[in-house]
Amino acid sequence: MKPIMLQGHERSITQIKFNREGDLLFSASKDPKPNVWYSINGERLGSYDGHSGTVWCIDVKWDSSLFISGSADQTMRIWDVETGTSNTTLEMKTSVRGVSFSYSGTMIAYTTDKMMGHNSELNIIDVREPNNVDSTPIMKTQVTPTYTKALSVLWGPLDEYVVTGHEDGSIIKWDMRTGKEIQVGQEHSKQIKDMQLSHDGMMLITASKDTTARLWDISNLEAMKMYKTDRPVNSAAISPLVDTYPHVVMGGGQEAMDVTTTSSRIGKFDARFFHLVFEEEFARVKGHFGPINSICFHPNGRGYASGGEDGYVRVHVFDDAYYQFKFDF
Amino acid sequence: MPSVDEVKSSWADEVEEVEGGNLPPPIEKSDGNSKTITEYSLNDDGKKVKIVSHYRIEKHRVARTIAERKTWKKYGLSKNDKPGPNPATTITAEDVFMHFLSNKEEEQNEQEELKKKLMDAQKGQVKCRLCKEDHWTKQCPYKDKLEPLRSSLLGDEKVEDDAQQAGGTPGVDKAKMAGGTQGKYVPPSMRDGGSKKGESMMSSRGRDETATVRVTNLSENTREQDLQDLFRPFGDISRIFLAKDKNTGQSKGFAFINFKKREDAAKAIQILNGYGYDHLILSVEWAKPSGTQ
Repeated sequence: MKPIMLQGHERSITQIKFNREGDLLFSASKDPKPNVWYSINGERLGSYDGHSGTVWCIDVKWDSSLFISGSADQTMRIWDVETGTSNTTLEMKTSVRGVSFSYSGTMIAYTTDKMMGHNSELNIIDVREPNNVDSTPIMKTQVTPTYTKALSVLWGPLDEYVVTGHEDGSIIKWDMRTGKEIQVGQEHSKQIKDMQLSHDGMMLITASKDTTARLWDISNLEAMKMYKTDRPVNSAAISPLVDTYPHVVMGGGQEAMDVTTTSSRIGKFDARFFHLVFEEEFARVKGHFGPINSICFHPNGRGYASGGEDGYVRVHVFDDAYYQFKFDF
Repeated sequence: MPSVDEVKSSWADEVEEVEGGNLPPPIEKSDGNSKTITEYSLNDDGKKVKIVSHYRIEKHRVARTIAERKTWKKYGLSKNDKPGPNPATTITAEDVFMHFLSNKEEEQNEQEELKKKLMDAQKGQVKCRLCKEDHWTKQCPYKDKLEPLRSSLLGDEKVEDDAQQAGGTPGVDKAKMAGGTQGKYVPPSMRDGGSKKGESMMSSRGRDETATVRVTNLSENTREQDLQDLFRPFGDISRIFLAKDKNTGQSKGFAFINFKKREDAAKAIQILNGYGYDHLILSVEWAKPSGTQ
């Protein structure tokens, strides 16, 4: 594999995301400018200039017309993907930690940080008119102090509920109509760093600081599988070709703050491929100089991209060895 | 060829040219599915730099929306970028390989090796007096059959046993005893082959070599004992020769192992050739007769 290295950020990557077709790759970092790239050749389409703080979370609408970014400057912005201009800026009381477009793209769910006496909240807003967004949430729920703060958010199937990942490792399913929790999944012992849906939206994978990733059935929050590593897992993704290649890729590494204080053991920053069903690691890919903060499969399942603490995004296209590999039962 | 014009008559002219800031225009060459762009620019020291970029042109058939997105104008930090990847932000990284793990095999191998080692260690300690295998005499499966035989042949047995205990490891001392099995020291000239003069020397040598394997690509730290451990499981070894540096005593990286049986040697070659030992891949093959080397 000859990966393409995207060097558009000045600080560590926080999240990367492909659009639905996979031709665009969005990246956000701790610098205030999210970037968008053509995934095929690594050409940068542009950057979204406007934030004044770390961009924690991004998402893109299914038709690649709108892009949202939640930032530590206590705003969430909605951008036009084609021109890179911001239509809407929503002011918050605290930083925005998780954003997610609903499947239909008509609603945005976002979570805010618990900070300066403000509680962590889960809000849903209507964005059917992107140029004239009503900033009063259609659903508003206070997450803290009942639960710990919500750091990531995803929509369940048919936009009926949202799932949030929390600081204490729990994941909670919320009824989007009433704003009440339906179910709590408590399997992880430490913070959820990332949550991603499977291609069909029926499974959920969570990456946690407790060195494991777990696969959940989203309909009943049943923890189905666990993938164990020896390092905090920052991100995990399920292959879209899950029927032929039931694979899970995980990225992680030591915590950024520990990298300088512990001995630099080689090989802790590689992307690790696990078999989805047998929970066994079968391959690794090296490349990053720091922990991987965000990882995702290309929507066609023939490659993956990873963004690291080193500020680089690496776009990989699998070579034949990946397809020829037979898992040894 | 445009480059002909750029050839300067002397280096002095060229300097002047550069100072004047007169850089040749970029040249773009494309043929079929590849494109080469040659650009000239001044670097920080004011020197002219030639940049040659090679591009491979790929054609993809994509959905209309994707094709449309490909025509969008660049914006933000990339506003002034030319079409195509900007080398400042997009770098083709070095080849990386997916490193496949075969955990299971490795684990099993390790376990087997451990077992083997344990077995080897036990071999020297416990030995059946009846069948010479590495278990206690009481647990011998041939106890009923061999016990009466043994008692009838007790005299001979004892002698042999003593002989075995005299040496260190069984493999080596057997080799020493190849000449005769009496307990006493027998000078070479008095041994079985001693009376047969030169001819016997030749034949014994020849026989040895048929079961000799040559091991190469050993690490420097290899010692005879390691080879003993490595090759002993395949069969009795009569001799191990490890080439060593005279001064440092370190291995030169090859060795000869004389097995007692040719089958054992064949087995060793089959299994150990290509075996990873001490981070090196061993090459094990039949030794060529010493005359031809």
